[in-house]
Amino acid sequence: MNYPVWQLGFPGGLLIAAVAVLHVFVSHFAVGGGAYLVITEHLAYQRNDDLLLLYVKRHSKFFALVTVVFGAVTGVGIWFTIGLVSPEATSSLIHTFVWGWAIEWVFFFVEIAAVLIYAYNWDRLDRRTHLAIGWIYFVAAWLSLVVINGIITYMLTPGRWLQSKGFWDGFFNPTYLPSLLIRMAMATALAGMFGLVTGLRQATPVRERIVRWAGAWLLIGIALLPLLGRWYYGKFPAFAHDYVAGLIPAARRAVLAGAVCAALILLLTLVFALLKPRLVNAAVVAVLLMCGLLVMGSGEYLREFSRKPYVINGYIYANDMRVADVTRISTQGVKQVSPWVMAAEPVQYGRELFALQCAACHSLDGYRSIRSRVRGWDATFAREMLLHLQLTRGTMPPFAGNEQDRAALGDYLASLAPAAVAAGGEIDAGRQVYEMRCALCHSIRGSRRPLDFSGMDAGAIADFTRTLPDLSADMPPFTGTESERHALAVYLHDATK
Amino acid sequence: MLTNLPIPRIDPMPAPGPIWLLRTLLLLTFFLHLLFMNTLLGGTVIAFVCTLRRKRSLFAAQLAGELGHILPVVFAFTITLGVAPLLFLQVMYGHLLYASSMLIAVPWLGIIGMVILAYYGVYYFSLRATSHPVSGTIVMGLSIALLASIAHIYTNNFTLMLGPDRWASLYHRSAAGWNMNWTDPTVLPRYLHFVLGALAVTGLFLVIQGLRKRETSYGRWLIDQGTLVFVAPTILNYLVGFWFLLRLPGGVRMTFMGHDTFPTALLGIGLLLPPAAIVHLILARGNKSPVRQAIIGIGSGVGTIAVMVLMRDAVRNAYLAPHFRFEQLPVAPQWGIILLFVLIFVGGLATLFYMLRALTCSPNRVTAATVASGR
Repeated sequence: MNYPVWQLGFPGGLLIAAVAVLHVFVSHFAVGGGAYLVITEHLAYQRNDDLLLLYVKRHSKFFALVTVVFGAVTGVGIWFTIGLVSPEATSSLIHTFVWGWAIEWVFFFVEIAAVLIYAYNWDRLDRRTHLAIGWIYFVAAWLSLVVINGIITYMLTPGRWLQSKGFWDGFFNPTYLPSLLIRMAMATALAGMFGLVTGLRQATPVRERIVRWAGAWLLIGIALLPLLGRWYYGKFPAFAHDYVAGLIPAARRAVLAGAVCAALILLLTLVFALLKPRLVNAAVVAVLLMCGLLVMGSGEYLREFSRKPYVINGYIYANDMRVADVTRISTQGVKQVSPWVMAAEPVQYGRELFALQCAACHSLDGYRSIRSRVRGWDATFAREMLLHLQLTRGTMPPFAGNEQDRAALGDYLASLAPAAVAAGGEIDAGRQVYEMRCALCHSIRGSRRPLDFSGMDAGAIADFTRTLPDLSADMPPFTGTESERHALAVYLHDATK
Repeated sequence: MLTNLPIPRIDPMPAPGPIWLLRTLLLLTFFLHLLFMNTLLGGTVIAFVCTLRRKRSLFAAQLAGELGHILPVVFAFTITLGVAPLLFLQVMYGHLLYASSMLIAVPWLGIIGMVILAYYGVYYFSLRATSHPVSGTIVMGLSIALLASIAHIYTNNFTLMLGPDRWASLYHRSAAGWNMNWTDPTVLPRYLHFVLGALAVTGLFLVIQGLRKRETSYGRWLIDQGTLVFVAPTILNYLVGFWFLLRLPGGVRMTFMGHDTFPTALLGIGLLLPPAAIVHLILARGNKSPVRQAIIGIGSGVGTIAVMVLMRDAVRNAYLAPHFRFEQLPVAPQWGIILLFVLIFVGGLATLFYMLRALTCSPNRVTAATVASGR
């Protein structure tokens, strides 16, 4: 609203997700991998194992190339992306946590210096100093996570910050600790996973030992996930539990996909890395990496999705609108508040409003297609529905704007897919009307505001649909044709008898 | 909002630190970033040229090899030191930066991919230039093109951020972020001014490298070449700087021409320091004991960069004066966390000092040039 909207043709959240998942995959490796390097180095000295030491040396260079370049730059990439997609939220984060980020920057700086010295000076530093620098790297990397975790979890569960606006109230929020521990477990797993990548290329005598060693890290990390995940999930906002319970199928699918991938990693690690290390090859490691990426991705997706309809829970909506601004925008109208809507022609103005208020999550025809969601809507119904968006699934922010704005956006939405009900039997036609007009908020015998018309005939149901606004202020009127009303009544009678 | 232009309103949350502190940190970290960034951009050019000349000059081949080992480290710290000013910039100018960034969103976000490619290119050069000089040179050439493009996109955004009067038309032209700020007459001279400055700073870096090996003929060659690399772009930069000054809007230009004392003084110092650097570096070049002259020359050169950072800040604030003033920002310092930051910062510096000391005092003493060599 306050900023121009980057209309890139698909929801910007997808772009954030793509950059973020790749970054967190490598950045968690950067934390766990630090401990892996230095502990393996210790082990090599303790056992006087030159081959193991040679492996750590090679792994450290691979580690530096992946984390210093890809890890660090994609981290900056998240900054760039969120600034483009959610500038209001980014600005708010900056104003709340700039010193947290400044502290994290110090750790980041030390981290980069330490890893470059560690990876490229094996022969120049004595063992004790080299190990010390390895530990400095790991501690700095872990402290980076300690800081960033506070800011990320704040967005999901800002806790007392919403009242106090205090730094520490936001930082040490309800999900802080479980999130930190689950991320450390994932970092341990990724250390082992990437340890296998370079381990595969080692000479045969040491290869099996390395595969077992890296496999143990992987196993410990993944095995901890269910327990920590349960604790973490328990601290999620109550509405997020409803999403995973089935209200939002995608959220449930993300949890299932993550669980299946974690189980597969566990199985593959047990069978291949620990019991039959000789059988571990590039294909196995590739599957492990892919599963690891999916586990990470599903976790991040769940965390992001569980905040909906907010980007900062309770403070800024997913479409970058401040909760506190809704009343002002609705009173004054979008044109008075946003300098970025300029069109005079109503449909064009409606399109601009769509970009401002909807395009953060919906594309026209692709991801979360708006056209498929408004198919068959007439203008009156669309205008009415805009009054009740926040009730449809819980994941939608309310519409903010005056009557003129609502009319313009409603008309625009109605213009997208004004398809008539397809031909077919009466029940089929009624089902389509139901899906168009009722299923956004209701289910038939489900958990979402279930409809039950048992004991009523089709005529009574049809009459009932004439009184909808009298039932509750949240119910829009039925604005379809009489034949649609009849078909709907027949369908509801059939479905709920 | 002081004008009717589409300028986003300032974040309702107060700035969490006093403006003087935020500005100091912004300018200080930007200055440090500039030292590394300039050495990176200029260093890749020098490494490229030296690789091309490797057969004609042993010294050029040696310098190309050394730069190959240094540049990945310089790249790492260019990025690390670039994060901090971007952070502090957003606290004060975020509402302007987010708007301008969105207007050129595609090239702006493209920077990330370009940095990754350029970075791996520099690493490739570092690891393969000796054994595969042809592919190493080609890859380095591509990295230079990427770095020069990144610099150009930065110049575009940081000038666009200063001109809200162009935002509405660009947003209408492409809301998908396919814009550049090419209609701004200051973009080209500003870009060239910075790129030539980067080359000049690399000249200073070569002189520093030469001083450390001044007893050898290679060291003296480095001082010679470094002086040349500093002097030629610096002289050219007087012309480009003058062009840049003329292209600035009248009000902004007059800030440096007597209307405002501090910026005018900065311009005066900025005009005087480079000749001092040139004279001392040339004197050092022909001197058997070049250290004193060279240090004065390098000091004057580095001082010029500091003055340019302050002038750049003055240009920004003069441009924005009709739209934004620091007094508009609500301020509520988080002193406890600021203190924690200072303590951790000092701790970070101490840790850095320990690591560098451990490296330089190790039995197999190394130079900065070999930090990343892996040899």
